[in-house]
This record gives sequence, C-alpha cells and structure tokens, in this order.
Amino acid sequence: MHIHIVKRDKLPLWKKCCFYLAAVLAALVLGGVVLLSIGVNPLEYYTRMFTMGTMGNPIAYRVFENYLKDFVPLVLTSVALSLAFKMRFWNIGGEGQFIMGAISAAFVALKLGPSLPNAVTLLLMCLAAMVVAGLYGLLVAALKVRFGTNETLLTLMLNYVALYVLIFLGETKADWNFFLREDSVRPVFASFSDWVKFPAFSLGGRFTLNICVILTVVVGLLVYLYLKKTKQGYEIAVVGDSAGTARYAGMKVNRIVLRTVFLSACLIGLAAAFKVGTAGILSTAITNDVGWTGIIVAWLAQLNTVAIFLVAALICVLHNGSVAAAATFSRVDSSFANMLQGAILFLVLAADFFIRFRVVITKKGGRDNG
Amino acid sequence: MSQPYAIELKGITKAFGSVVANKNISLNVKQGEILALLGENGSGKTTLMNMLSGIYKPDSGEIFVEGKPVSINSPEDSKRLGIGMVHQHFKLVDVFSAADNIWIGREKAGLRLKKNRFALVEEMIQRFGFDLDPAKKVYNMSVSEKQTLEIIKVLSYGAKTIILDEPTAVLTVQEIDKLFGVLRRMKAEGHSIIIITHKLNEVMDISDRVAILRKGEYITTVDTRETNEQELTEWMVGRKVDLNIDRPVMEKTRPLLELRDVTIRNDEGALAIDGVNFYIRGGEILGVAGIAGCGQKELCEAIAGLRPIEKGQMIHKGDNIVGLPPKAIHEKGISMSFIPEDRLGMGLAPSLSITDNMLLKNYADTKGPFVNRKQGRADAENVIQELDVVTPSTETPVRRLSGGNVQKVLLGREIKAGPNVIVTAYPVRGLDINSSYAIYNILNRQKQAGVGILFVGEDLDVMMALCDKIMVLCHGRLMGVVHAHKTTKEELGLMMTGALDLTDKYEDKPAGIAKDTRFGEKEGEEEA
Amino acid sequence: MDKLAVLTAFLHSIVVYNIPLLYGTVGEITVEKSGSLNLGVEGIMAAGAIFGYIFGCYANSLLVGILAGFAAGALCGLLFALLTVTLQANQNITGLTLTTFGLGLYFFVGNSLKASGWPVMNDFANIKEGFADLSIPLLSDIPLLGKGLFSHNILVYLGIVIAIGMWWYLNKTSLGLRLRAVGENPAAADSVGINVNRSKYLHICLGCGIMGIGGYYMGLNMGGSFNSSCWINGYGWIAVALVIFANWNTALAIVGTFVFGFFNTLRVSGSSLAAAFPGALGWLASIPTQLYQALPFIITAIVLIITSIRNKRGSSGLPAALGLNYYREDR
Repeated sequence: MHIHIVKRDKLPLWKKCCFYLAAVLAALVLGGVVLLSIGVNPLEYYTRMFTMGTMGNPIAYRVFENYLKDFVPLVLTSVALSLAFKMRFWNIGGEGQFIMGAISAAFVALKLGPSLPNAVTLLLMCLAAMVVAGLYGLLVAALKVRFGTNETLLTLMLNYVALYVLIFLGETKADWNFFLREDSVRPVFASFSDWVKFPAFSLGGRFTLNICVILTVVVGLLVYLYLKKTKQGYEIAVVGDSAGTARYAGMKVNRIVLRTVFLSACLIGLAAAFKVGTAGILSTAITNDVGWTGIIVAWLAQLNTVAIFLVAALICVLHNGSVAAAATFSRVDSSFANMLQGAILFLVLAADFFIRFRVVITKKGGRDNG
Repeated sequence: MSQPYAIELKGITKAFGSVVANKNISLNVKQGEILALLGENGSGKTTLMNMLSGIYKPDSGEIFVEGKPVSINSPEDSKRLGIGMVHQHFKLVDVFSAADNIWIGREKAGLRLKKNRFALVEEMIQRFGFDLDPAKKVYNMSVSEKQTLEIIKVLSYGAKTIILDEPTAVLTVQEIDKLFGVLRRMKAEGHSIIIITHKLNEVMDISDRVAILRKGEYITTVDTRETNEQELTEWMVGRKVDLNIDRPVMEKTRPLLELRDVTIRNDEGALAIDGVNFYIRGGEILGVAGIAGCGQKELCEAIAGLRPIEKGQMIHKGDNIVGLPPKAIHEKGISMSFIPEDRLGMGLAPSLSITDNMLLKNYADTKGPFVNRKQGRADAENVIQELDVVTPSTETPVRRLSGGNVQKVLLGREIKAGPNVIVTAYPVRGLDINSSYAIYNILNRQKQAGVGILFVGEDLDVMMALCDKIMVLCHGRLMGVVHAHKTTKEELGLMMTGALDLTDKYEDKPAGIAKDTRFGEKEGEEEA
Repeated sequence: MDKLAVLTAFLHSIVVYNIPLLYGTVGEITVEKSGSLNLGVEGIMAAGAIFGYIFGCYANSLLVGILAGFAAGALCGLLFALLTVTLQANQNITGLTLTTFGLGLYFFVGNSLKASGWPVMNDFANIKEGFADLSIPLLSDIPLLGKGLFSHNILVYLGIVIAIGMWWYLNKTSLGLRLRAVGENPAAADSVGINVNRSKYLHICLGCGIMGIGGYYMGLNMGGSFNSSCWINGYGWIAVALVIFANWNTALAIVGTFVFGFFNTLRVSGSSLAAAFPGALGWLASIPTQLYQALPFIITAIVLIITSIRNKRGSSGLPAALGLNYYREDR
C-alpha cells in the first residue's frame, strides 16, 4: 500500500466550511477529554464558556461591553496585518507597532489631555499613535526595500525593543517620567480616564456601545472597499501576486510596499489608540497579545476582511469565555483557553491540508524494488 | 532469449486533477541506445520521465527495469534502480562545491566528511572524461558547467539509464556538439540514454530511435535512420502543417525606434549590453538572436524603461526617450512583453482575473481613486473574442488558463493599446505549434498595420522564417544585422558564439545604423 | 565584599543563567538547518520545562528529567513537523500557535498540580545533588576564571558538549552535509535520493528535544518554584535572535550565548559590580535594566541589517529554503 497526496481543484465554499467546522469540533472533543480526565463535565464547561457566563447573569451587558473591548483591538490589528500579508510582507511586528502606538496615545492623553477638549485629545491620540506606529513599521519596510533585510526576523526583534521601552517607562520612577503616578512611591502607570475617554452610546437598556466599535466596523468596511475597489488596492493585489509584473506595468513597487506597510502599521496604531483611550491607562500588558493573535486570525481568515471579523469574534469568545468559566470551574485553569485555541488552530491547519490536497491510497503496486 | 529492455513502460496513465498528462503510454528503451523522446511542449514528455525519476507516481500502468517489474515511489527508488535524470531546471545546491553536490547523494560516504572527497571526485570527473573543478561553488558556475556537474552526478551514482530533459535549450552550438560527444561516449560504454527534445535536427543527429508523444498520448517509435524531419513533424503535430511562416513584404518607413551606442548593466552591475546600435522600421520584424543570457532581457527591460540606460541614446520618432519612466514610454506607443521561463513571472499577475490583467497598464488612467473594472471587462471580452482565448469567463484567474491562452491574453492586452513599436521576447515559449502559429499571425497582422516589432526568439528556424532582419548578440555586443532570407543557421550560430563579427561587413555602413536615420532630427530642427 | 569574589560570581552567573539560551539556540539552528523556521521555541521550552521537572521529580532522577524534557520538546517538534512537513501548513503560523499551546500547557499542568501538590525540588535529593556544581580538576583552581567558568552543574557541560557536537555533525559529517542540502534546496536533495521528509522530521524533533532540555534547565535553575510568570520568560525568543547573531553556527552560538549572557547578567549583577568597583564601574548602577533586556534584540536587529547590507554570497549561514515548505510534485 502506498499513500500519496495530490493537489485538489477548487473546493466549493460549503465543503470548506464543513472541514473547518469539523476541525473546531474535533478540538472541542479533545478538550472535552482533558476536562473529563480532571473530573469536569465538558458540556457544562463549554456552555459556560461559549455564553461567556452571560446566562443568568444580571450584569450580562457588562460581559458584552468587556468582550467588545477585547474584540476591537484584535480585529483592527488583524485587518491591518492582512494588508501587509496581502503583499507577502511578513509583518509579525504587530506587537511592537501596537506598543509604540499605545505609548504615543498615552503621551498625548497625559501631556495635552488636561488642557484640551475630549474630542480633540482623542483625535490627537489616534493621529499620534498612527504616525508613530506607522513609522515603526515603515522603518522595516524601508530596510526590506533597500537592502532586502528579512522582515519576519527584524519585526520580531523590534517587538521586544518596543516592549522593553514600555517596561522601562512603567518601572522607572523619575521626575521626567510623567507616565507614572506622582502620588505613588512604587512605579504605577498614571490614569487619564478622568479627562479622556471614548464616548459610549446607550442602546436603550443598560448596555452601552462604545464609539470605537462603530469606528472599527467602519474601518473594516473601508479596508474592504480599499482592497477590492480602489487603484491602490489593485496595486497591492498585483504586487502581492507578482512583484515582477507590477514593476513591468510601471508600478513603483517599492513605494507601494512602503505605503502599504505604513498603512498597515498605522491601523495597528489606531487599534492601540482605541485600546488606550478606552482603558484610560497604560499597562505593560496593553497589547493583550493582539500582535500575535492577529497574525493567526488574519491567516485563518485567509486575509479576507469579512472572515477576519468572524474569526476574531470567535477567538475573543474563546478567551473571555474561558476566563468566565474559570470562575465557576475552579479546577480548570484559564490557561485552558490557550491550549484549546492551540488545538483548534492545529486542527484547522490540518483541515486546510485536506482542503488543498487529496490523499490517494494505491493498494496495488506493492512490488519489490529491484 | 534476447536482451531485456533497459526500461519498459506499459500502459502508463497520469492525471493532474482533470488534466490527463499521460494517457496509456507504452514505450521501451534498449540497452546501449539513445532514444529521443520527441513531442511538443505540453505533450507529456517531462511528466512521463518524472515518473521514472520518482517525482510523480503513475495512476496506473507498469514499469519494468531490465525485465523486472518495479514500483518507483521516490527519487531514492529511482536511483537504486540505476536511473538518473538531468532535469531541465538543475537541481543543485548553490552554496555547495561541485564535490559536495555529488557527495550528498553518495551511498557509502562514511560518517566523517573527509577532505579527500575533493580528490575522489576529481578522479571520478577525469574517469568520466570531463573537466570541472571539484572545489568550485555552483553559484560561480556557467550554465554548461552546471549541466556537466549534473551529468557527472548522475554517472557517479552508477546510473545505467540516463534521462536528459531538454539539455540543449541553454547551450551554445559548440557546447551542444560537446554534449553530444559525451552522450555518444556514454552510449559506447553501454549506457542507455533518453533525451527529451522538440528540436528535430538534434533528434536526427544524436538518436538511434525516436519515440513520439502527442497531447499525452503515445504515437509511435521509429528508427531514426528510417525517418526524416518531415515525417517526424507530422507525427508530432498530428496533421500536416505548413512549415512556412508567412512573411508579408511591406513598404519601408523611416526608423521608428533607434538605439545608438547603448550600454546597459545587469543586476550584478556587469555590462549586459555593450555599445549596441540598431533600429526598427515600421512594418518590419527585427529578430534578436543570441544564446540565453547574452543581454536580451536587459535590452527589453531598458527599452521599456524598467532598467536605466547607462550610455547612449534611444530615439523614438525623432525624440530621445532615454530616462523616461516606464509609463511615459508606454504612452508613446512602445509596448514590451516578455515571457520568462516560468511563463507567468512578468507581464501577468497569475492569481488575478483576465479582467484585472487587462487593466494592468492603464488602471491609473481613469480619474478618481477607484479602478474601472467595467472597461477591463469590456477589453477582456474583446481580446477573448478576437484572439480565440479559451476560458470559462473574464473573471477566471489567468493561472487556470493553458499556456497558449495565457500568452494570447498577454499579447492581446499589448495590442489593444495600439502600439507603434512592439518588443516581444519569447512570445511562443512553451507553446505547441498551433498556438505558435496563432501568435505569429497576430504579429504579422500588427506588422501589416505598420507596427515595428522587435522579436526576441529562441528558435532560429522560426526567426529565419518570420523576421525580416535578424540582429545577433553575443555577450552583450552586437555581432551584426543580417537579412533573414539570406542568412544561414551556421552563420547565425557562428555570430551567436562570437566567432563571426559582421558589424563592419559593409565599409560604408556599420551594422545597426540606418541611412535614413532620424537621429539628430530634433536637434537639427532647433538649430535651423 | 571581596572584589575578586564579585568578579568570579559575575562570570559564574553569566554561564549558569544563560546556558538555556544555548540549548534553545542550538536546537533552533538544528531545526532551521533543515529549512524550517520554527517560532515556537518559547512554547517548546515551556513544555520541556514542565514535563522534565515533573517526571524528574517523580522519578527522583536528573537523567529522567533530562530525558522527559527532551521527549516533551521532541513531541512538540513532531507536532510541528506533522503540520508543516506532511500537512504543508504555514511555518510562521504553526510556530506561533505552538508557543501559545506550549505556554497554555505549561500553566494548565502547573496550576493543576499546584492545586493538588506541587513537587518541591529540595525534597528530591538526587535532583538537587545532580544539579550541584561539579568542579573540573585543575582548571577550576585557576584564580577568578576557575570558579567562574569551570565549576558548574552537569547540564552546563552537557550544553557545551551538545553545541560542539552539533557543530561537528553539521560541518564535518556526511549526514550534516545532507541536512544542509535539505535546508538549502530540498528539491536537489530529493533528486539525489535523500529522504527529505525523514530528514526534516528527524532534525525538527532532535532540535526541539534539545530546546526541551534547555527548558528543564531553566526550571531547575529557578529552584523549581512555580508561580505566575513562566520559567522560560522570553528566553525562547532570545534564542531565535541568537540564531541570527550566531549566523546559524552552533559553535558561534556558544560565544553568542556569553555575549547575550553578559548583558543579561549585568542586568542582575550590575549593581553589585558598581558597588565593588565604584570608581571604574560606578556608572553601571545608573543604566536601566530594561536596556540590558532589550540589548540582545537590538544587537540582533543590527546584525540582521548589516548582513543584509553587505549581502555577500556564501557568507551567510541562512538556509536558502528557510520557511518554505517542500512538496515534491510542485511544478
């Protein structure tokens, strides 16, 4: 018997979805086995997880608000990364760009916030975060374009440089360091939530919808249109498909790469501004790993803007749900979510294989080789 | 009992998705003979041989080696059975020396990597009668050196049957002679050789027997001595084709595009084109002949504005257009299409639809930030209709089309812009004869419409039939411009290798400079 | 405090705290030389740490711990290989997922055990003794250097031996030559009969196993106390950086480990050095610790940029097919 793999022709969408669904289910079953082994009823646990503990919860609206707080930066970062990935520019520097954006936004909020109207401060925060994050990404793109520097490894390194800058600001007590609270002996980030905050609208009940959510949907829609309908989006598609062809067509490929990476990093900066502006304070864990998770989301969604929203929503349910479930099931650590997320991803990656390839088993021909 | 066949294939079938590449093929190779495997591109020669080399596995059918049935699941199996293949795209590790490239496949290499491997390989190279420095790194080697290394590699593993996939495509005439000498010697030593080619003269020259494939099917095997080129062509193509390509005679116009003393550098900074002169008139096809890598690519790129012209002038209808950006040059009516070896690398975006590919050069011409896909779709429909492109729809990604249709899309887009100069490199690369003729017709129609065409080609026979004049390049230098109907293949071959320089053949007129030049026209006007 | 003693302790710390980097780097070089870019080092080391520690304690044997750490790492490698080699999944994504998964596993197992009874390292005499410093006779008597460089636990020596052994294997054996061929041009390797997939599987598992031992080392070095921050604490990512710094050469990785370790140790012992030598090194106290933490990444970024600017052929150890999956029938 001989096992052999061959490339498939295109598979219809519904079949693809079935494969992915099966992968997710298989991961849940695997997780269920782990849960059973430590004496937890998987059905109860999963129910609690997927409802994020909203069932019978008098403050369920809060859960949704918090859920959206996590969802906004993740989905925006994923959308941003997909822009760069479309050009086959492996920007895995989302973390670093996010941090740079967050620091800049906090800088504006702390320095200018008290003397400016809320709306102006917020606008300036977004702008500052976008420009600084954008430049941080542009630096790598420039080196890649000019010298062919490996962008995967370089953005990876710059993530940590940014992270330690943030930690430095968070742990250094000094006169110049206005990022910290003055009235605390221990280094603690200063809060600016008293004077700067993204407004939220009440939708009848107690649930309030933050403007960031609306803006994020708008940005998502704009990016979708940008990629599908505009000349610049067309250029990205051509460059990503074949840089040689783009050059031949008279496109300034380097400029397109620089522009797109800058835009990608800008949007990550915007995500950071939304995050900081909603939280009202910096933190060394401000990214909540969106730079990493965003890569996975963008990839799983195959860089499709609509799919990114769906995948990001699902991943956020996983994270928030497991925290909620951990409160009830004390035996299950909240790190279970990471394991489950890993298992889902592994199985989805495996399912992807069966979507792209077909396995052929030839039974005969088992003869000896000379 | 007679000697068993070195290799025998029985009823081999192989499909990729819905495309059947090999249909029930049976053929054999005798021990100690050279078998030519002849067929057009896309006839399934390489696929068939890759089933012997272990790259593919047949869907059905049997393979016998020296009379014994075998199953080849990997290149490892193939090697063990004494089959070695020299692939068209060399499979060498660039940063390794020649010796190490051989050493990685050696059976009893021992655990320790000893210095004496260089001496051992050197000895082997001499034993096989080659000349190659075992310590030379592959990235420093010429194409023919790499091919030599591939052959030594295969021999060193004890291959009894050697398959060569289009080995002459990248060689000069002299190098081909040398290669054929090697093949004859190997045959004399008892090796069986399969040589894949679609060049008839080579088949007649080197082979004992010829096996012919057409569109994935086995046609026949004949003794080379008992056949001729005309007969082989018929088998290969399936019906009698007119070997004559049309060459309409047009009235001469003044030069449309002239290049004077042009010097261009390649990516590595070396001289790719060195002081070259030539001109193209409206209504003529000027062929460019030369061995691979003699500067054709750089020349095409420079004309299109993709590569800087270091020295010299490029005059289009009396205007110097050196230094203009690609877009401006395109707007002047100079179109360039280049079909690279992988066919899709330049000129088309393979994952995008035909519509999107139509827009490639003029997407920016409309106002506003949005792409006008309506226009693209209309253009796509036009090209599909006029050039008989076979496609399910205008929205089909180009990569899903077959080679001939891809090239029609490419040329169609270039022609629709109404150019006055067409630069086209390898437009029939990889196409079967029928598709090639379709392309020649397209070019001839443009020629009749008064367009000047620069045709960079590979096949001298085609160029001699299609072009009005042929200029020959050798290592970036012009070796002369000859009339296509007066020259001979031998003359072209000698010029391509640099053995013959005809640039000063006529004392009164150096090659590549027109008597009714438009050079200096504009400056002259200004002075006057 | 005796000045000599401070310097000796400083040297000693450079080695003892940073050898896990060497394990991580040598492991990652082994993986990358087969053409696979594995960004899961952090998670693999975490998995190796937790399972090495637990099994080592249960068996009360350092050797079992090492083997368990290796096995846990190798199993992660097997998963990575299965996904990227057989199932053709994107290497970056698989690696990042492996990091998430490995860290999740680490905390899940650790926190679960903590609830039911965490094994305390001091209770296991064999492990404690096994991990104690061993002095090399004669060499360890050299003043300053002796105690600093030649009096260490067995895993330090093992790490150096593995690094040198791997260098020998990669550069001086036919098998190493074949592995490099796979990483440079898998199609070429395949065509001469090298089993590309087997070679990738084998070296991914081997490399990840080595990372696993490094993780186990980190756990022991922390005295086996489990808390909210992971034992690996970013060392996996520094190892990814160190691979580049060492130009994919495991012998240079030893040097690189000590260079990165030097800064890493200055972060911890900078103040004691400043106190011992107020005149010469007093300024050390004023340097923020985060700079030391960021330095490995800054240096590596600079190395990356400089090598790309120089762009000399044949001088970079970067495997040409790094990050690309190999599918034989690709046309």
